[in-house]
Amino acid sequence: MPKANISNDIRRLRFELGEMTQQDLANRAGCTRQTIIVLEKERYVPSLSLAFRIARVFDRTIEEVFEYSGEE
Amino acid sequence: MNVFWTTLVLLSGLLVVVLVGRLMWLNRPQAEMRDVPPAPLERLGWIGLGVTTAIGAGLLMLVVLVGTDFIDVNTTARLTFWVLMLVGFGIWGASWYVIKRRSGGVVVDERDRAILARSFSVESVIVLLMLVTWTIALTEVFSDDGVMPITYLQLIFWSTFIGGAFGRALGIVLGYRREIVVDA
Repeated sequence: MPKANISNDIRRLRFELGEMTQQDLANRAGCTRQTIIVLEKERYVPSLSLAFRIARVFDRTIEEVFEYSGEE
Repeated sequence: MNVFWTTLVLLSGLLVVVLVGRLMWLNRPQAEMRDVPPAPLERLGWIGLGVTTAIGAGLLMLVVLVGTDFIDVNTTARLTFWVLMLVGFGIWGASWYVIKRRSGGVVVDERDRAILARSFSVESVIVLLMLVTWTIALTEVFSDDGVMPITYLQLIFWSTFIGGAFGRALGIVLGYRREIVVDA
């Protein structure tokens, strides 16, 4: 199965939002801090619902937070 | 228990250790992932690995020292085994409550659930391998006799139970070392 390349701006958006901590973002998005860490390292591709919840925390659209760059 | 079977059992145990070690090495975290703290479920997986390894080693020692019929003939050995099982799995179960209490916020999320679901494949492989091994070994040993001591039913069950639990814990630990893509 080809691997989906999905990058994100979570770390930058977190700092723009008053230096929100990873734990705080995790609590608001309904996931663990470890998931936020691996998301920021782009070592994990979230489900659509988690991606939407994270985007909602930042009050952004999903395309403003995540970028899909095709499959390899 | 004669020298041949003792040697075979010990070598099998050594083979398991080598294979598991190699699996862990092949799936070692890359440099950028090494600073990621363990998730609550991952901690539970490591505890489970330790507990099931200790219980499995204890069962192996009882078989080597007392014999394959230790459950039937030796009360001390049998009680030792029950205590090992109850304490070991009790610790594993209790540790989850401790981990949950110490973790702030969400304890198990979609990534953890995906890893948990995939850990079943490791558990299945280990259980199947153990059943195949038992079937072949017991058939070869007792085919001439035509009967098998009933004590082996206990050994098959408990060893496979422990092996399955070990496989589940191993699957969880390995799962955190691999990249996970959740099917949305």
